[in-house]
Amino acid sequence: MSKIKYLLLLSRQGKVRLIRWYRSYDQREKALILREITTTVLSRKPRMCNILEYQDHKIVYKRYASLFFICGISPEDNELLTLEIIHRFVESMDRYFGNVCELDIIFNFSRAYNILDELIMCDGAFVESSKTSILTSMAIMDSVESNDSLEKVLS
Amino acid sequence: MGSLRTFIKDVRAAKTLAEERSMITKESAKIRTRLKDDHLSLSKRRKNIQKLLYLYILGEKTHFAQVECINLIASDEFENKRLGYLAAMLLLDEKQELLTLLTNILKSDINHPTKYVVSMVLCTLGTLTSVELARDLYPDVEQILKFSKDRYLLKKAFQCAAKIVIKDPYLASVFHPYTVKIFSMPDVCTHGVLLGVNQLLQSMATVVKSNEFNDYDAVASTILKVVPELLGILKQTNSSTLNTAYDVHGVCDPFLQVETLYTLRLIFLTFKDEVSSYNSKFTSILGKMVTNVESSKNSANAILYEIVRTVFTLESQDSLRVQSINILAKFLSGKDINTKYVALNSLLQVVSLEPQAVQTHRKFISRCLFDPDISIQKRALELIFNIIEDSNMKETVDELVNFITLSDGEERDLILYTVEHLLTMFDIRGIKSKGWTLAVVIRILKSMGEHLTVEIIGEILVMINNATELSDKRDIALQLLQLSLSKDQPIISEDNFGWKLITVWIIGEYANLVLGEPGVTDISLTGYLNNLNNIYSDDHKLIGYILTAALKLSSRISDPGCIEKLRQLVKAHEQNTDLVIQTKAVHYSILFSQPKEIKTAFLEAMPVFIKNVAHELDSGEKAISRKPVQTDLLGDLLSDIPSEKKPVASISNKPGGGSLDLLLHSFTNKNPSLGASAPLTTTTTSSTSDQPVTIPNIQISENIPSSALEIHTSSAIQVFSHVESANQGSANIRLFFKAKSSVTQLAVLVAVSKTQKLNLGTISRVNMIPGQVATQLLTITGSGILKFRIKLSSQNGINLQFDHKFDTTL
Repeated sequence: MSKIKYLLLLSRQGKVRLIRWYRSYDQREKALILREITTTVLSRKPRMCNILEYQDHKIVYKRYASLFFICGISPEDNELLTLEIIHRFVESMDRYFGNVCELDIIFNFSRAYNILDELIMCDGAFVESSKTSILTSMAIMDSVESNDSLEKVLS
Repeated sequence: MGSLRTFIKDVRAAKTLAEERSMITKESAKIRTRLKDDHLSLSKRRKNIQKLLYLYILGEKTHFAQVECINLIASDEFENKRLGYLAAMLLLDEKQELLTLLTNILKSDINHPTKYVVSMVLCTLGTLTSVELARDLYPDVEQILKFSKDRYLLKKAFQCAAKIVIKDPYLASVFHPYTVKIFSMPDVCTHGVLLGVNQLLQSMATVVKSNEFNDYDAVASTILKVVPELLGILKQTNSSTLNTAYDVHGVCDPFLQVETLYTLRLIFLTFKDEVSSYNSKFTSILGKMVTNVESSKNSANAILYEIVRTVFTLESQDSLRVQSINILAKFLSGKDINTKYVALNSLLQVVSLEPQAVQTHRKFISRCLFDPDISIQKRALELIFNIIEDSNMKETVDELVNFITLSDGEERDLILYTVEHLLTMFDIRGIKSKGWTLAVVIRILKSMGEHLTVEIIGEILVMINNATELSDKRDIALQLLQLSLSKDQPIISEDNFGWKLITVWIIGEYANLVLGEPGVTDISLTGYLNNLNNIYSDDHKLIGYILTAALKLSSRISDPGCIEKLRQLVKAHEQNTDLVIQTKAVHYSILFSQPKEIKTAFLEAMPVFIKNVAHELDSGEKAISRKPVQTDLLGDLLSDIPSEKKPVASISNKPGGGSLDLLLHSFTNKNPSLGASAPLTTTTTSSTSDQPVTIPNIQISENIPSSALEIHTSSAIQVFSHVESANQGSANIRLFFKAKSSVTQLAVLVAVSKTQKLNLGTISRVNMIPGQVATQLLTITGSGILKFRIKLSSQNGINLQFDHKFDTTL
């Protein structure tokens, strides 16, 4: 369960803002999936449902402001829960960055990836359902990092 | 070289795509050269890798930097390690040989004093594990599970173990004890840890049967101990009161609830016998959950949806199944479109199991037809066709017709899907030419005629033609003609070609039934034909129909002026540039001038079109044998080939001959759906080979011969076999598959005994709606008793296997 195959953040113009593959696709497959999903999802009308069939699996997507959050999931996955997972990711970023916007993600993509890694691991398994736990670990890691550089400056 | 921030800003500021590209290529090249410099400081390396990751997001090639990730990880600084591990996860994958370089660093970092470094190792391992990495590092992961009391590390170690077990199933015997042990330490059992345990259990259940796993019993006994704990989790989370950390719209941790449900489902499927003592407990918890989850928010629906899937996978008791269907129906009645989507999908999967329960919610399903999302409409349609039965037939058909007439022709695919399925359904139920079904098709034709395909129009012609009650035909003819001839505002759309074509045909066939009714006169009918003849002069198909109608009408009316007009109409086409029309016109002119009694005899309405079942059964050989016959007949007609009988001669030979005369026979032919133009098209095969005879798309359902033997029956499908021939050394057996519920992508596998060889023909159809029949020919050669094993599978859940033995010996 929760075997997310890939997660993709797309801007309304079709620019990739974050991309993470949880399966080892080769370059050609990646390019194909990316291209097809971009055209399909961007052309969806607002009142259409957020689930669609694609190749042998399903796509669940949700638009938050100017960004589309898109997940490829396995057939046995729970589509409705995937929407909650996406929402949890958005929520976590929102709290971390403080009212997150597209620019935050563009300029701090490695932080966005770090948050994602606290949420999803391995073959796309959902790891942590506590909202606070993710932010706590992020905060500690950030402070370890800045302490490190502080020590470096002082020495 | 600027910072990452400046680089991102620059790229974003690029005014044209070309400018952006050149900027990126330049930077990429720069990074490449810089990274090659051995003396580059770590902090500069880090900066370069950051930019590189940005390039990765933009879709650029980054392979040249793969080794650099390892250099960064090897650094002692947390900042470098953090970025290095991230880069490794993004840029590498489990197939790369580079991973061997990584093994040693991972092995030392997994014992790092900072737990966040350990966590990054686990995360990276989870992403990149190859079989070798799994074998090298599993002892370290096990150490964490064994000794650590840190929830953060435990949850990640469990996830990692789950991945390791998938990579090397044998390692399940190492990890299984920890899934029980963890429950004895309640203070570390956070939801995150439990999610990890779930994941490991799922991996174990997945691998334990698929390989020659030699530790099955040990794993099974562990599982047996875990099940009550999992049931406990469900009970607890489901009834727990608000806990802000895990709350999602008033539901406690839907993630854990759904994950646990799925794990239990897998366990109850895989270790069916071992855990059977817990069946009733599980069922009662499921029942309680159904009533407990009350919110209509997505988070609650996600759990309910998972419960429904569990109930149907485990073939739970009836009451729970009906309850589940009610949940799905509730989803349909709600507003959330995604919930509707999954509900329809689920209903489609279970409709064959609980048709009655689904049936009761027909209203909600019908309502989905009017949803703005086409994928919802499509599924609702499919579902409706699955639950149509005699008691609700008229009502449902009425709704369907309403649906397509209201759809404004925007979604032609949906309209065609509906009409085709309606016609097939009428056909299968043998009600195709009843009064009310005819009224239905006329309604469709009236508003949707311009969207229908030639095949469907043809099918409608046949339906009208085959109507058993003359009064039905008369009613239809009158209705059509009065609407067509109406002088008021045009009721029928100008583009409605299908309607016009059928009207023309009706004028030819049934004018005598309605002449004299208000508005239907010699003059008005002739005028209608003439008018269309002028408007559609370049539409060869319609002109063909008009010619036939004009000829036939001339024998049914008495007004000499009108007859003359019709003659002129036909005559005018003798000059037509289209060869088919021209020949037709020439021949019709000859017929036109025959004495009235001869003409009347030939130009009677078409006989009932009898579906030639044999055609469908072995369409292969028949299709071939059919063509020469036609060519012969029409060769006669056209006098292309020197022949014994000329058509005109045959007329005078047999004045007043029956309506099944040779010539007329060739008009009606075996394909009357295309009216008179079809046979003529085939005659000139040499010149018009691009116009092959179109056989109506809607396939007539195969009939099962009464001598066929039922060899298998299940809730979804019935299988019959018919031995067509059985001689020394070879036998032909025909299989018939009759669908009881709709079948998609049926796949048939057949095996025969070793002394025989099998040649499997192609199946006539792979998708069926209830009642439809598919057939397939088996040719078995060899010796010994005739027997076979059949395996059937379909995309919508048929999966069965059975053997059958015949009395015959080869």
